[in-house]
Amino acid sequence: MTGRYTVITNNPLVLENLKGRVPVAYRDVSYVELLREVRDQIHKGGKLLTHPLSGSVKPGETPYKSVMLLSGKGDVDERSLDLIENAIQACSKFQRKGPYRPEVDKDFQLVDWTLLEGAIASAGE
Amino acid sequence: MKLEIGNIFIKDIQFAAEAKIADGVLYVDKAALEKVVLADETIKSVTFDIAKPGESVRITPVKDVIEPRVKVEGRGGIFPGVIAKVDTVGSGKTHVLKGMAVVTAGKIVGFQEGVIDMSGPGAAYTPFSQTLNLVMVCEPVDGLKQHDYEKAVRLAGLRVAVALGELGRNVTPDETKVYETCGIKEGIEKYPDLPRVAYVQMLQSQGLLHDTYVYGVDAKKTLSTILCPTETMDGAIISGNCVSACDKNPTYVHENNPVVEDLFAQHGKTLNFVCQIITNENVYLADKQRSSDWTAKMCRMLDLDGVIVSQEGFGNPDTDLIMNCKKIEAEGVKTVIITDEYAGQDGKSQSLADADASADAVVTGGNANEVVILPKMDKVIGTLDYINKIAGASAETLQPDGSLKVELQVITGATNETGFLKLSAR
Repeated sequence: MTGRYTVITNNPLVLENLKGRVPVAYRDVSYVELLREVRDQIHKGGKLLTHPLSGSVKPGETPYKSVMLLSGKGDVDERSLDLIENAIQACSKFQRKGPYRPEVDKDFQLVDWTLLEGAIASAGE
Repeated sequence: MKLEIGNIFIKDIQFAAEAKIADGVLYVDKAALEKVVLADETIKSVTFDIAKPGESVRITPVKDVIEPRVKVEGRGGIFPGVIAKVDTVGSGKTHVLKGMAVVTAGKIVGFQEGVIDMSGPGAAYTPFSQTLNLVMVCEPVDGLKQHDYEKAVRLAGLRVAVALGELGRNVTPDETKVYETCGIKEGIEKYPDLPRVAYVQMLQSQGLLHDTYVYGVDAKKTLSTILCPTETMDGAIISGNCVSACDKNPTYVHENNPVVEDLFAQHGKTLNFVCQIITNENVYLADKQRSSDWTAKMCRMLDLDGVIVSQEGFGNPDTDLIMNCKKIEAEGVKTVIITDEYAGQDGKSQSLADADASADAVVTGGNANEVVILPKMDKVIGTLDYINKIAGASAETLQPDGSLKVELQVITGATNETGFLKLSAR
């Protein structure tokens, strides 16, 4: 893989686990707001490295999302744009749930982390 | 490869001092099974319960459903690489305890999934309302991490299923079925005029509670590969996933995959069932590219005329599904894809998160956002503590009268993408 990737996340556990390992852009925003931020980056030339709808814990159910992005300054990557637009559209199909008890919140963080962990194993650090 | 399946029809399950099968009744020695489970020191306690079709019983949160089997002739043992030692399975003779299942339940994470109702409107949506279920709820030792707990429950369920399957070793089956596939050259010579068809099965492979294992290997670390379909009947594929339970394949579905069953039924008649291709559904996009490239390449190398592709899950796997479909079609091989839909509660939204014009033959398992009311049951095995936290559930899920207002997503197997369903639009 060429270039350095960044993980865009709203999951504090991802920030903690990746500290000093790979660049993390932590945002204290909602699931769908995070996807919109990723879309902004794609419009600036970024390229998706992971699927924005990773995991079977649905948008609206889990508050957490982490996406791996290759930064770039070139043309818009059409495939990435397609994936992120479809992901944002899919969010509207699910009802918003929560707030959750702290231990449930931690479990959502953990599952989001394990979804990303497999991608990091594939991408390398 | 030739496998003989001997079905032993189980008509009832009872707890007893001596474990045995007699006159179609499975007698379960609870104390002996407790020892099987507690051999893993990370499990603090286990409770067993029996749930029968038609009873006012709700089982939740369901983790896995497993059918007990035993290998009586041929290589290897059930669940190779996991419970039995690694050896190629799928040939010889296997006995099956038909009509029953081991159901594992227990809270691993706080938003646990999976409901099986044994009666009422919810029962129509899950095939496991029709099986006699031995339900086991495992409690972990204090402080056990979720990964370790998930693994402990997964393996405990398989060990119990193997222990029960062993009771059928010397029982004469009520029914025998034979499944046989040919080698590549042999198949071409034997069925020169029949279309060459394979089954492409996509496996969940994303992370904790989203994993599948093939001969004990985590599917996200595998390349797309070929199986003889009879291997799955001996437990070559096991489930480690249950999140959004409607469209996940419990181990029971892998053992009884209806696509495999139906293709065998047509083998030598209307088609030549060549093989099963398994591929994964990773989160990393380059992995998707590689896996779908390999799947399409194998379809071409095997000179297939057509494939049936089944998905497992929604969202991320929609992309794998479309990549597989598009690339296989581009190799000149016809595809039929099996999926399910997340079309919103009103059914008006786009069903899949990806699409392509080549996906022009699609079978659906139903709309997972469909809302159903599940009336209160007299007995709950497991706990309702987490029901408001599962996919398809909301803050209003648990109604004042004790009924549940949920989307189909919560029901184990409700929109299964291998077609392992009770309902159809036919």
